[in-house]
Amino acid sequence: MNKRRTVATASMVMAGVLVTAGCGAGGPSAGGGDFTDDKVVLALLNDASGVYKDVSGPNSKIAIQMAIDDYQEKYGDEAVVDDIEVTSADHQNEPDIANTKAQELYDREGADVILDVPTSSAALAVATQAKNKKKLYMNVGAATTELTGAQCNKYTFHYAYDTWMLANGTGTVVTEDGGKNWQLIYPDYAFGQDMVKSFTGAIEAGGGKVAGTIATPFPNDNFATYITKAGAAKPQVIGTMHAGGDLINLVKQYNESGLKDQGIDLAVGLMFISDIHSLGVEAFEGTIFTDAWYWNLDEKSREWADRFMEETGDRPTYAHAGNYSAALQYLEAVQAAGTDDADKVVEELEGKKVEDMFLRNGEIRAEDHRVIHDVYLARVKGPADVKEDWDYEEIIKTIPAEEAFRPASESGCSM
Amino acid sequence: MTSIATAGASVSEQHAAIAGARPWQRLVLLGIGLVVALGLPWFVYPPVAMDIAAWALFAVALDLLLGYCGLLSFGHAAFWGGSAYATGLIAIHLGVPFPVAVLGGALFAMVLAVPIGYLSVKRSGIYFAMVTLAFAQMLFFIANQASSLTGGENGLQGVPRSFFGIEAVETDSFFFYYAALPIILLGMWAAWRIVHSPFGRVLVAIRDNAPRARALGYDVERYKLIVFVLSAGLSGLAGGVFAVSHGFVALPELHWATSGEVVLMTVLGGIGTLWGGVIGAGLIVMLADYLASSGFDGIGIVTGTVFVTVVLLFRRGIWGTARHMWLSRRSS
Amino acid sequence: MNAVLQYTVQGLAAGSFYALAALGLAVIFGVLGVVNFAHGAFYMLGAVAAAVLLDTVGMSLWLALIVVPLLMLVFGMLVERLLVRWLLPLDPLYNLLLTFGLTLLLVDLVKRRYGVSGLPYERPSALDGRVQLAGVGLPVYQLFVIGVALLVCLGVWLLMTRTRVGMIVRAATERPELAGALGINVGRWVTPVFGFGVALAGLAGVLAAPFRAITAEMGSDFIIILFAVVVIGGLGSIVGAVVGGFLVGLVEAFGQAYAPTFAQVLIFVLMAVVVLARPAGLFGREEATA
Repeated sequence: MNKRRTVATASMVMAGVLVTAGCGAGGPSAGGGDFTDDKVVLALLNDASGVYKDVSGPNSKIAIQMAIDDYQEKYGDEAVVDDIEVTSADHQNEPDIANTKAQELYDREGADVILDVPTSSAALAVATQAKNKKKLYMNVGAATTELTGAQCNKYTFHYAYDTWMLANGTGTVVTEDGGKNWQLIYPDYAFGQDMVKSFTGAIEAGGGKVAGTIATPFPNDNFATYITKAGAAKPQVIGTMHAGGDLINLVKQYNESGLKDQGIDLAVGLMFISDIHSLGVEAFEGTIFTDAWYWNLDEKSREWADRFMEETGDRPTYAHAGNYSAALQYLEAVQAAGTDDADKVVEELEGKKVEDMFLRNGEIRAEDHRVIHDVYLARVKGPADVKEDWDYEEIIKTIPAEEAFRPASESGCSM
Repeated sequence: MTSIATAGASVSEQHAAIAGARPWQRLVLLGIGLVVALGLPWFVYPPVAMDIAAWALFAVALDLLLGYCGLLSFGHAAFWGGSAYATGLIAIHLGVPFPVAVLGGALFAMVLAVPIGYLSVKRSGIYFAMVTLAFAQMLFFIANQASSLTGGENGLQGVPRSFFGIEAVETDSFFFYYAALPIILLGMWAAWRIVHSPFGRVLVAIRDNAPRARALGYDVERYKLIVFVLSAGLSGLAGGVFAVSHGFVALPELHWATSGEVVLMTVLGGIGTLWGGVIGAGLIVMLADYLASSGFDGIGIVTGTVFVTVVLLFRRGIWGTARHMWLSRRSS
Repeated sequence: MNAVLQYTVQGLAAGSFYALAALGLAVIFGVLGVVNFAHGAFYMLGAVAAAVLLDTVGMSLWLALIVVPLLMLVFGMLVERLLVRWLLPLDPLYNLLLTFGLTLLLVDLVKRRYGVSGLPYERPSALDGRVQLAGVGLPVYQLFVIGVALLVCLGVWLLMTRTRVGMIVRAATERPELAGALGINVGRWVTPVFGFGVALAGLAGVLAAPFRAITAEMGSDFIIILFAVVVIGGLGSIVGAVVGGFLVGLVEAFGQAYAPTFAQVLIFVLMAVVVLARPAGLFGREEATA
C-alpha cells in the first residue's frame, strides 16, 4: 500500500513536480483531526528469529494487540482514535537492520511509537533514530542503562529492566543474606562490563566484597576452566553475567564442576523464565535472580497470563508483559493528549504515576524517562515444588520501585 | 580440475563478452546501469538503496578476487568491517567530510590486507578460504575485546555524516545517497579498470594456469597479494559508506556471516562476471528487507535454498546465465 | 599443580569434540576433496537428535551414542547422493559453497522446529560425580568424553591400518597421486566415507549434549575453530586432525586460565604461526595440500 503510494509519488516527481518522494510523506493529513493518517500505528521491532525470539519475539505482537483491545474496551466510543494498527519487523539482532527498519517504520509505515528492541547496540541505534525523527520509542527488551543515561533523549523511554536494576536486586540481597565473598564471571563486552560495575557497587554497598572478576570471550561455549578458576578462590558466591545460550553453557558446566556440593552458590545476573523453561528447573534449582515481573505474581497478573496463554500457548516472560504495559500506557497518553503528536504525548507520559498488571507502584520518571516499578527477587524452584507447567519461581522479596532502579540523580542524563 | 571461475563462465566466453560486445551495446548497458543507480532511491526506500549500492560494490570487490584470481575469500568481512570501524573513528574524532573518512577507512582496509594477504596467498583453493575465514574471525574477537575503541558489543555509535555543512545531505538519506553514490561508482570503475588492464590479463593467466604464468616469469604470489589488497580496498570503500549511511558500526560487520553473505551475492549474480554481484546484492538486500517485515522468521531457509539451487543448477549465476544465453543466441 | 591437572582434563575434553569432528572432516576431505562447511551443522544435529530422542522416546545417552551416529551416517549418505555428488567433478570450492548454503538451511530449519532457547538434556547418573586423583576431583563425565574420543580415534586408526577399506581410504587421503597411479578405485567408497565423516561429527554432538547448550547455533562458531584445527594439523592428515583437535582444546583451556580474554584469539595466532612456519600444517605434506 505504502509502496504503491511511493511509486505513484515518485512518478509524479519524475514528471517534474518538485517533491521528494521516499523521504517520508509525513505531516498532518488533510482529513483534519489531530492524528497523522487518521490512525495510530504501534510498531514492534525485535528479534523474531534469533536467540531472543522466545524472550519476546512475535508473541509480543500478541501482547500489544491485547493492549489495544483493552484500550478499546475501556474507552469504547470515548476513544479519541478508532483506527489502531500494530505492525512488526524483525531486526535479527543486527543493529544495522534495526537502524534501517526503525527509519522505515517511522517514515513509511507511519509508526507513532516503536516498542521493544532487545540487544543494546540495536536499542541505542533506534534511540538515535527516535531523536532524529522526533517520534516515540519505548524500549522494553534491552539492558543498557545508556538509554536513560548519557544517550538518553526526549523521545526515548525505558521499560522493564536494566543492568543497574538486575545488579542491585541480586547483588544486594544475596550479600545481605550472608554471601559476602564473590567471584564474578562475565562476558567481556559492554553488557557484561556494565553488569560487573553495577554488581560490584551493589555488593560493596551490602557489606560484601568482590574478590575477583573473570572476563570470558563472547560468545563462548566452554566455561569449565573459568569456573574452576573462580572456584579455586573459595568464594561463597559465583556471580555470572552471561545470558542466553552462554548462560545455559555456563550453568551446565557449573553443575558439572561440583562447586555446588562445596557450598559455592551460583547467582545469575540476567535470566528469563524462557531460559528456565528450555533447560528445565533441575539445572537451575536454587538459583537466585532478579525478575521484573512474574506471571504468577497475583490474581491480576495471572488473569492476564491466562489470556496470553490462550492466544500463544506459552506463559509470558516479563518482556511480553512489559510490551503490553508500554503499549497500554502509550495509548492512555494518546487518549489524554487527544493526539498522536509525539511532543504532546511525551508531555502526558512524563512524571505520570501508573498502575497496571505489569507496573506496580509505577512511575514514568520525567528526569531520565526510566519507567520505575516494583521488582522481585526470585528463586528457581526444585522439581518437587513445581505444581504446573511454567511454575518455576518462588518470589522471595519485593524490591520497592524507588529502590529498584538507579536514582535519576546518578543517571547522567540531560535531555 | 576446472577452476571455480572458469567453470562458471569459460574464458573464451568472457573474452567474447569483453571483445565481442559492440561499443553501442556496452554503452546501452552502461546507460541502463547508471539510470538504475540514479533512480534507485525513487523506488526503494533510500537507506535500503544505499545498502544495495554498498553491498553491490562489496560483491564486485569480492568477484575481483574470486572471478579473476580464482581465490575464494571467506574473510572479506575483515575489510568491510575493518574499514567501517576506521571510517567511523575518523569521522567521529576528526570531523572530516564523510568521503575523506571513507577513503581513510579504505586505506586502513588495504593496510590490514597486507599481512592477512601475505599469509593467505601462500595457499590456494580450499586452504585460502579457510585461512582468510580464520583471520577475519580473529579480527572479530579483537574488535570485541577492544571495546574502549570500538564500543564492543554496543557498537560504535554516533558516526556523523559531515558533508561541507550541506544539511540536506547530512540529515536526509535521500540526498545522502547521491552524495555517496560517486564513491561507489568510483570503486566500480576502478574494478573495471583493473580487470581490463594488462594487469588483469596476467591475473586471468595466473588463475587459469599458475605454473605456466610462473614459468613466464610472473611472480604469482605477488600478483595475488596485490589483487587481494586492491579487493580489500574496494571492500573498504563499500564498508565505509555503509558505516556512514547507518550512522554507527556494529560488531556483526566483522563476523564471518557477513563474509558468507557477500559470497552468496557474488555467486548468485555470477562468478567472474564482475557486474553479477550488483544484481546479487540487489536481490539479497531487498529479500532480507522484505522478509524482515513479512513475519516469516526463516531467512536462512530461503537464502540457503536459493544458494544450494544456484550452486547445483545455475553455476553461472544470473548475470552469467543471461550472458551465456545472449552469446549462444548470437552465435547460432 | 592441582589446577594444571584440572585444566588439562578440561582442555582434553573440549579437544575431544574438536578431534572427533575434525577427524570426520579430514576423512571426507581425503576421499572426496571436499571441505564440508556443514560439519558444524552436523555436530549440532547430533546434539539436537540426542535431546529430541531423550525427550520423545526416553533414549538414554548410552543408546544415543550408537543410534545417533547411525542416523547421521544415513543422513550423510543421503546428502552425498543427492547434493555433493553432482559437484565432485568441479572445483572443490563449489562444494564448500554448497555445504555453506546447506548450513544456513539446516540451522534455520532446526530453529523453526525446536526454537531458539535450547533443549534440555539429562545424562545418566552413572556419569555424575567426580573421581579423586592426586587430591583433585575430576568430573567423571569429562573423563568419559576423553575416553570415548580416544577409543574412537584408536578404532578409526585400526580401521585405517588393518583393513583393506582403510588402506584404500588412507591411500586416497594421504597419497592421492599414488593411489591414482596404482589404479585404486575409491569411487564406491565415496558415499559411505562421507556418511562416516558426518557420523563422527554427530557423535561429537551427542557427547557435547550434556555439557553444552543445545541450540541451532551451537555449530556456527564450532566450525570456524574446526577449520583452524585442520589448518594447524594439516588438511590432508588424519593424525593431524586428531592431534590438532586435542592441541586446540588444550590451548583453549590454558589460554582461558592464564590469558582469559585472549583465549579465542590465541587459537588463531597459533594457526597463523603454523601457516607461516609450516604452510601445510603440522602433519600435512606439501604436495597433498596444494
